[in-house]
Amino acid sequence: MRGMIVRRVLQSVPLLVLISVLVFALLQAVPGGPLAAYLENPNVRPQDIERLRVAMGLDRPLAAQYVSWLSAFVRGDWGYSFADGRPVLVRVFERVPATLELVGASTLLALCLALPVGVLASVHRLFDRITSFGAVAGISLPVFWFGLLLQLVFAITLGWLPSSGRASFGASSFADRLAHLVLPVVVLAAVQAAAWSRYLRRAMRETIGRPFMNAARVRGVSERGVLLRHALPNALGPFITVVLLDAAMMASGAVVTESVFAWPGVGSLFTESLVKRDYPVLMAFLMCGAIAVMVLNLLADIAVRSIDPRTRGTA
Amino acid sequence: MMRWSVRLSRRSARSSALGVAAALCASLAACGGETSRSGPSNELLIVGYDREPDTMNRYATHILEDIESCVVEGLVTNDEEMKIIPVLASEIPTTENGGVIVRPDGGMDVTWKLRPGVKWHDGVSHTSADVKFTVDAINKGDWKPESVDGFDRISSVDTPDSLTAIVHYKEVYAHYQLQFVRGTLPQHVLEGRDLNTANDYNRAPLGTGPYKVKEWKTGEYILLERAEGYWRGAASPKIKQLLFRFLTNTTTRINLLKSGEVHMVALVAWDKVRELEPIASLRMNRVVGNGYEHVTLNQRHFAPFADVKVRQALAHAVNRDLLVRTILDGQVEVVNGPIQPLSAAYEPKVPTYGFDPERARTLLTEAGWVPGADGIRMKDGKRLAFTLITQSGFAIRENVSQALQQAFRDVGAEMTVKLLDGTTISSVWFTGDFDAMLHWWQMGADPELTLFFAGDRMPPAGRNINYVNDTELSSLLYRSDRTADVAQRNELLREAQRRIAALAPEIVLYNTAKVDAVPKSLKGFTGNPTNAGPFWNVHQWEIGTP
Repeated sequence: MRGMIVRRVLQSVPLLVLISVLVFALLQAVPGGPLAAYLENPNVRPQDIERLRVAMGLDRPLAAQYVSWLSAFVRGDWGYSFADGRPVLVRVFERVPATLELVGASTLLALCLALPVGVLASVHRLFDRITSFGAVAGISLPVFWFGLLLQLVFAITLGWLPSSGRASFGASSFADRLAHLVLPVVVLAAVQAAAWSRYLRRAMRETIGRPFMNAARVRGVSERGVLLRHALPNALGPFITVVLLDAAMMASGAVVTESVFAWPGVGSLFTESLVKRDYPVLMAFLMCGAIAVMVLNLLADIAVRSIDPRTRGTA
Repeated sequence: MMRWSVRLSRRSARSSALGVAAALCASLAACGGETSRSGPSNELLIVGYDREPDTMNRYATHILEDIESCVVEGLVTNDEEMKIIPVLASEIPTTENGGVIVRPDGGMDVTWKLRPGVKWHDGVSHTSADVKFTVDAINKGDWKPESVDGFDRISSVDTPDSLTAIVHYKEVYAHYQLQFVRGTLPQHVLEGRDLNTANDYNRAPLGTGPYKVKEWKTGEYILLERAEGYWRGAASPKIKQLLFRFLTNTTTRINLLKSGEVHMVALVAWDKVRELEPIASLRMNRVVGNGYEHVTLNQRHFAPFADVKVRQALAHAVNRDLLVRTILDGQVEVVNGPIQPLSAAYEPKVPTYGFDPERARTLLTEAGWVPGADGIRMKDGKRLAFTLITQSGFAIRENVSQALQQAFRDVGAEMTVKLLDGTTISSVWFTGDFDAMLHWWQMGADPELTLFFAGDRMPPAGRNINYVNDTELSSLLYRSDRTADVAQRNELLREAQRRIAALAPEIVLYNTAKVDAVPKSLKGFTGNPTNAGPFWNVHQWEIGTP
């Protein structure tokens, strides 16, 4: 196991460098640069722009800019945001807790929904039909529309829940924090639970048809036992991989949810930085995203190995 | 028995779980309802703001300075009628009061008399040394303020006493009155420091204004708190705390206004005004803005626009009254030029281009453009077909573009619409790489037109993205810039407006209105047509009975 982890970490280094080159190049290819924001002021003149270009180091050749970014990045110096002049490390990590809270809570809720629904749908035909309808609806829901709809119903019409933000101004109670979490978490979880329950249902169905299931039944294992002790662990391996990878993607999928609910996470920072073409922040965000996907991928492999003994002998 | 007990405990677990869920909902509802929905009061006013500032340093920010202006005051500001009024200055220097002297060498000296008794929030007096420090800090060149326009024309600043700053200009600079609209930098705090990284100042600037920054919670809000000992006296400001919540999503901002979680929203989108009008606790405050929406016709990029008849024809093709009545929901007014009626330099008697498609067709035929097989006019084998760019995610502009497309087609011109994001549009202003653009200019209180219409101010030297190059117009504009006499300047600008209208370098559509949704109980709120923004007189605001 340790060998695999070391090997995977080493493999990820060239991959990350490749990703950083691609991301750096892509950002340069997006029309309008970080100076565009200054151009909105009609009084800004070419000499102002040139002065700013030099001050930001944008006058140097791209390759030189990339090399100095990379060498600083690996040393933990992520530079300063073009937008507000604060260290990028501070800007990104001050947003992480809010995103972890949102993505963590939605993953948990989505799992609580997807696991029982997926398992039951694999054996109950009627339940399957009903939930399949719900799941298709959940997957097809545009996140921003669903978010605004929930806001309209629960915050404006009924007045039960706060419509946005992470906490009420001046309030610090746990209940207040929880109240603010409800709507964004429901939005994110609905979509995930829909997809995951369908995935689990299919994995279960595939396992249920296999000969060893009948062998278990012949040995006298109850139907519930067959389902939970034999089919589920087999279906769970690929399911966990999907869940962990989706969780990594959800941090970026939360961009829309964070905007609708004014949630102060990394997603909203990303949107804001993208609009301003704040390269240092965008690079850091995209690199963190790549690292998160790799780490969660590795975690998924480790989890699958610990659940499924058949995978332990292979690399 | 065992089985029973299991069942029983499951059932009771289920019912107790339901009970807990219900209690949780109730408590969440209670807490969501109480803490975030109390109405506006003199204790707290919550503003739904469309974006988070990049910095609170007024000279370095490149977005509106609404929040900053509550903390850092200018020597002057613009009032609701766009008049320049003194704030930290005791009067506006003019040639009449001897505050402005044109030197025989062509330069100019402006004497700013500062208001006595003004203190920074830390108790240190605000003096002419701060004015001099500000000019020096900007001109030193190692800092990246947004714009140094005007400052680079200053050769030096003399400070004969603590309340007098004499600013020496290398040449006559007609916009001198707004030179210090962004205030001054406190010398005693910033001297010898790198302003790019002075984040203590940039995040919570030391000012002289009615408020100071109490907390900036990144991604969530900025909280301003009443500054004790404000120079206007203990009675001002009345409202103790101002909370600016960052709500980038337009619909969310409006939803929060409806739910009562925010009390006011500055600059409501025009297509949202009707939606908010029925809310009894709100007042829609509308001021005519000092800006105008127009179609820029880039003569350099699309050669047929270089013919004045083509430009005039396209102007005649558009039914602006209909646009305003329908898509704009009557929120704005049709106008005919870049300077708005608010300005003292406004010229009402200019050539206009009413809706007249027949006249448009005649003009195009006269210009040599004859209808081709598909109805689109041709000349020398080329079709009269161009692309209009405009900002995406801006429903009104998208609809107006479509209406223009139809109108131009009716007279035989084909227009393709391309939507771009705001940042890309800003870059295009600088490269000039487009045929036509639907956008607005928000003009400053100073009626300068040189930047937009002088022949030598094409990008990147300016914003003349029509690429109009008319000797007479350029001469009028530069003469207007080089006079310190306001009356003479306005006369030159009036003539310039007549010339611009005759040349029709762009299709002027309508002015911009600034609609702010404010609580009915808010007294003293006037709004503001300029970029001084609606918070320009925040010290006078008070929550009373609606």
